[in-house]
Amino acid sequence: MFERLTRTLRNAVPIALAATLSFSSALHAEAEDGGTMTGFTTGYRTLNPAVQSGAATGAPGSQIFAGLVSVGADYKIEPYLAKSWDISPDFLTVTFKLVDNARFHDGQPITAEDVKFSLEAVRENHPFGQAMFGNVESIDTPAADTVVMHLSKPVPGLLVSLQPLLMPILPKHVYGDGQPLKTHPRNMENVVGSGPFKVAENSPAERLVLVKNEDFFIPGKPHLDKIVYPLVKDPLTRVLMLEKGEIDYAAFAGIRPNDATRLEKVDDLTVTTDGYGAIGYIHYLELNLRDKPFSDRNVREALAHAIDTGFLSKVIFGGRTVPGTGPLHIGNPFYTADVPAYAADMDKAAAMLDAAGYPVGADGARFAFTLDVPSWAPAAHVPMAEYIQAQLAKLNIKVELRKAPDFGTWVKRISSWDYQATMNGSFNYPDPTIGVHRHFACDNIKNVIWSNTQGYCDPKMDEMLAAAAVESDFAKRKAIYADIQKKVQEDLVFIYMPQDFSVTVFNNKVEGLPASPFGALAPFSDVYLDN
Amino acid sequence: MLTGMLRKLLNAALLLLAVLVLNFALIHAAPGDPVEALVGEMGGATPEVIADLRAQFGLDQPLYTQIGTYLGRVLQGDLGHSLYYDQPVTQLIADRIGPTVLLVVAALFSAIVIGTMLGVFSAQNRRSVLSHLVTVIALAGFSAPVFWVGIMLILLLSVSIPLLPISGMADSGGAATGLAHALDVAHHLVLPALTLALIYLAFYSRLSRASMLEVLGSDYVRTARAKGLSRRQVIYKHALRNAVLPVVTFAGLQFGQVISGAVLVETVFAWPGLGTLAFDSILRRDTPTLLGILFFSALMVVVMNLLTDIVYRRIDPRIQTR
Repeated sequence: MFERLTRTLRNAVPIALAATLSFSSALHAEAEDGGTMTGFTTGYRTLNPAVQSGAATGAPGSQIFAGLVSVGADYKIEPYLAKSWDISPDFLTVTFKLVDNARFHDGQPITAEDVKFSLEAVRENHPFGQAMFGNVESIDTPAADTVVMHLSKPVPGLLVSLQPLLMPILPKHVYGDGQPLKTHPRNMENVVGSGPFKVAENSPAERLVLVKNEDFFIPGKPHLDKIVYPLVKDPLTRVLMLEKGEIDYAAFAGIRPNDATRLEKVDDLTVTTDGYGAIGYIHYLELNLRDKPFSDRNVREALAHAIDTGFLSKVIFGGRTVPGTGPLHIGNPFYTADVPAYAADMDKAAAMLDAAGYPVGADGARFAFTLDVPSWAPAAHVPMAEYIQAQLAKLNIKVELRKAPDFGTWVKRISSWDYQATMNGSFNYPDPTIGVHRHFACDNIKNVIWSNTQGYCDPKMDEMLAAAAVESDFAKRKAIYADIQKKVQEDLVFIYMPQDFSVTVFNNKVEGLPASPFGALAPFSDVYLDN
Repeated sequence: MLTGMLRKLLNAALLLLAVLVLNFALIHAAPGDPVEALVGEMGGATPEVIADLRAQFGLDQPLYTQIGTYLGRVLQGDLGHSLYYDQPVTQLIADRIGPTVLLVVAALFSAIVIGTMLGVFSAQNRRSVLSHLVTVIALAGFSAPVFWVGIMLILLLSVSIPLLPISGMADSGGAATGLAHALDVAHHLVLPALTLALIYLAFYSRLSRASMLEVLGSDYVRTARAKGLSRRQVIYKHALRNAVLPVVTFAGLQFGQVISGAVLVETVFAWPGLGTLAFDSILRRDTPTLLGILFFSALMVVVMNLLTDIVYRRIDPRIQTR
C-alpha cells in the first residue's frame, strides 16, 4: 500500500488539480460551512514552522501556511500549491507548476520566487533543513508559476518533505528583509501565511484564534469559520475539557492509556491512534558506546535480554502499543518487524555478563552505572527507568537514576557526551533521512542533542545509509532499510523501548479530518462541523 | 518616623541589589544554558547555529561582563529581552501581572474575610461540634495538594454540575467587551480563586482563632466584660482589633509571595498569569525573564513589607519606628 508514494515519484505523473478537487468534493458532498472548532495549545514561541519542528508550532502552522504538496492516506502525495510536477528520468530535476491566482493573506500573489525563498529559508533555518534539502543544488524560476529544482543526487524523500509542516510557503516580501529568520518579529506578530486559515488573534498567554481565509486558492475551502486554540498546559485539565465538550479536537495531548479508556466511554467522543505515523515517536535506552562496559556488545545484549519490553508496554501503555523493534515507527512506510529479537531471559543475561568479564564482584555487584532520566515525557521515561533499575538489580548491576531537573540540564549532559546511559526518544519524521540517519551516521557524531551522541560508527552502516538516501525505487529502498533495521538490532546501537502511546480525541461532530499520516499536522481545509 | 522610613528604604534598595546579584549567580551556576534548551525545543541544530545564537544573546561574554551589563540595564529600568518570547521582559510582566493580581486578590480577600470570621466563631465556641468541623476543614484545605483540589472542584462544579467553565480567563469564542467581558472574566475567576482561597482559608481561620483565644484571655477583655459591655461589643470592638494584627502581617507577607502561590493554580486552570510565566521560564532557561520575575517578586515583597509597616501603625498606635 505504501508503494503509491514511490509510484507517484517514479512515474512522475502530473496529477491535475481539478481531478482531485472534484474527487474530494464528491467525498464531502454534505460538508457544511461555518462554525468554530476548539483545539488547544501547550504554548509556542513561533508560528513559523520553517524555524521550529514539533507539534506546538506545526499544528497551527500547517493551517496558516500552505505547502507545495499535501500528503494523503498511505503517504499518497497530492497536489496543493503545486498543481502538478514532473521528475526527470535521472531523478535530478523536478519541475513544479503552481496553481493560478494563489495569494498570501495580505493579498500579494504567491510566485515561484516565494517557493525558492521558502526552500532556501527552510534549508538554512529548520533543524532538519540540511537533511531534507541539502542535496537541492539550485532552484530556477523560469516563470512566475514554474519552479525547477536541480538536485546533486536523487532525493527520494523530496516530495514528502514539501508539505506545509516541513516546508511552509513563506512570503518573500515579508521575511526577505534581511533580518535573521529564527528570531524574525513577523514569526509572531502580524503573521502573513498562504494556507486555509489566517491568524486573527495571537495572545500566547491565552489563546490563538485562526479564521477562514476567504481568499484561499482552493475554491470552497476551508469549511470552518474559525479554529480556536486556548492555552491549556495541564494534561488532566484537557481530559476534563474534552469530556465536557469545551475542546472539540485534541491531538498530541499527552493522554494516558487509562484516560483514553475513560474517554472512549464518553458518547460524543472518538479516540484514535491514527495520525502519528509520519511523526513516528520512538522511545529507547541510549548507552554511551565510548566507554566500558557498554562498548562491549555482549553487555548490551545481556541488558536487552533483561529488559522485557512486552511487559513494559503492558504496564506503562496498557498493552496498547507494540514493543520496540528498531529505529522505525510501526506507521513508517519502511518499517519491518523482521529483525533480531532478544527474548526476556534473565539466566541468559547473567551468563552473558559472566562471559563478558563482569562476574558478581566481592562487593556483590557486577558493575554500577548512572542512568539519566530526562525531564520531558516523564510519564514514559520515569517508569521505564525505574523498571530498568529494578530489573538490572536482579542481575547485580547497580543503577543509579539521575533525574534531570529541567530540559537544559539533560541536554547539556547528553550533548557533551558526559553520561553513561539515558532514557531518550526521538521523532522519525516521514523520511528516514530526516529522523533516523542522524542517529547512526559516523559523520553525525556531534555535540548536538539527538545526533549520534552515543558514538556509533560502522562503515557498513554508513554505506547502507548512503545507498538508502539516494535510492529512488521504493521496493529497493525498503529492502535497504530492512537491512539497516536488522543491523541496528544486531549491533544493539540502542535498546528499544515500547513504541509510544499517542491518541487523538475528538468530538463526533467534527468531520472531514485529514486521513494523512501527518494527522493534526496536515491542513484542515476539508474539516467541517456536523451539527 | 521619617528617618526611620528612609533607613528602611535604603535597606530595601540594598536588599534588592543583593537579590539581583545572587539570582544571577545562582541561575548561571546551574548546568545547561538557554541556547541548549532553545535548540532542543527546535528539534536540534548544528554547532554553528548554536554558536551564532549564543553570540546573539551575549552568552559568549565572560560572566562578570554579563552581570555588569545586566545590572547597568536594570538601573535604567530595563529588565532585558526574553530569549523565548522575543519581547521586552517588562512588557511580558506587565501583560501577565493583571490576571495574577486579580486571582490572588480575589482569593486572599475571600480567604481573609471568611477565614477570620470562621476563626472568631470557633474561638468563641471552642468546644462546639461546628468549631471542630471548621478546624478539620481548614486543615484538610491546607494539606491537600492544590492541583488535586483544583481538579476535584472542576469535576464537581464544571463536569458533574455544569456551572462554571473549566479553564482560561475569558470565553475563547466571543470577543465580549465592557460589562459582558467583566462578567465573563468573573465567571472564569470563581474556580481558580476558590481553589487558591481554600489553602489560605485554613491559614487565616487557624491564625485568627489562635490569636482571638489569646486576646480573649487577656485582662482588658475581662475588664471590658466586667464593665458590662455586650458580648458583641467585647468581641468586635475590643478583642478583634488586636486579634487581627497577625492576620494583617500574614496578608502582607503572602501578597508579596503571590507568584509562588499561584503557579499551580494557574497551570491547572490555564490562567494567563505571572506564575505560569515564571515556571515556564525556569524550564526554558529563559534567564532574562526569570531574573526579571524574581526581581519583580523581590520588589513586591519589599513594597508589601513597607506597606504592612504603615498599616500596622494605623491599627496599633503603640508600634513606633525604632
